[in-house]
Amino acid sequence: MKQLFIILGLISAIFATILSVLPLSNLAIFPAAAALVFGLIAFYLSKKAGYVKKIIQFTFLLTIISLSITIYKAVFTTVEVANTEDLIIKEEESKQEALEELEGLDLEDINIE
Amino acid sequence: MKLITFIIVLLITISFNAQNTAIGKAEKLVFTASYNMSGVLNNIAEVTMETSEAKTSKATLLRLKCTAATYSKWDGFFKIRDLYESYVNPSNLTPYLHNRDVNEGSYDKAMKYTFDPKTNKVKSVQTKKNKPTENRNLTIHAGTKDIVSTIYSLRLIDFKNMAVGTKKSFTILFDWEEMKGQFTYLGKETINTAIGKKECYKLAIGSNQPDVLKGTNSNFLWLTADGNKIPVYGKFKIPVGNGELKIKSVAGLKN
Repeated sequence: MKQLFIILGLISAIFATILSVLPLSNLAIFPAAAALVFGLIAFYLSKKAGYVKKIIQFTFLLTIISLSITIYKAVFTTVEVANTEDLIIKEEESKQEALEELEGLDLEDINIE
Repeated sequence: MKLITFIIVLLITISFNAQNTAIGKAEKLVFTASYNMSGVLNNIAEVTMETSEAKTSKATLLRLKCTAATYSKWDGFFKIRDLYESYVNPSNLTPYLHNRDVNEGSYDKAMKYTFDPKTNKVKSVQTKKNKPTENRNLTIHAGTKDIVSTIYSLRLIDFKNMAVGTKKSFTILFDWEEMKGQFTYLGKETINTAIGKKECYKLAIGSNQPDVLKGTNSNFLWLTADGNKIPVYGKFKIPVGNGELKIKSVAGLKN
């Protein structure tokens, strides 16, 4: 039972760390919370047995690192769009082509303004 | 990205003869598209809807332009730069020309529809990366519009005098097919937005789904209950979690 929670805690912590460095970092909260819960249970069971394995401490360390990264990114990172030059060029080209195309159409239904 | 495409595709056919009193000539709406899983939001992309005049020697049309661009943190993983635009009659938003230029990761596709409202015929030209250009002539039903015109046309509807529970069906032309759907008017609801607290008309968007008023429909759209009827919030169900579209800023409103 203790082994199970140690393994689950470690997997959750690794998963949380991976997610925290990806763009979906906000979702790292879920595996981080799971890692904390499993880690605490494993810690409690280990204490009862008389010896706390280092891997449990490593799990907590990983969890704290992932939560720190997640919180930092959530608080200090501003989301913005960049590198839209191609899109702007595409928009302008599309408009020019469209106007040429529209010149050849029957637009009688539209009131001339 | 499929999430953005899914959010944008509001399938519906409306035979609109309503006049345009809501959409101005220089309007700009900016939205944040997000993914929501169990209350945790992840911002994915910025969606912009702009209008401008398109002047030809014969007439002045209204250009309806929608762009979607992923935020810079996503560009390294999956970069989206999409352009959807329509050139329409400014009075009733009947489309004459529609362009769709999609660039999502390594997927490139362009689709052009040229509408003839008198004969209900559409000439389409599809261009895909590393594939030959494909031309098709289509015949559509009266009132069928492209996706951009359809989204804007929702704002021509008179919700003020509409009974709660009213359903309206629509047809939208997308990828050579006419897709049917419907919306149900769910009444007014006041929500908090980035542009303040707004009383809104709430719509359930679906595809002939039953039991909408019981809350089983999963796609909703909130339009401000004023003369502009701008979309301020959209919520769409996806396989895991929800997609959300939230207003970020507005400019150039007609009313």
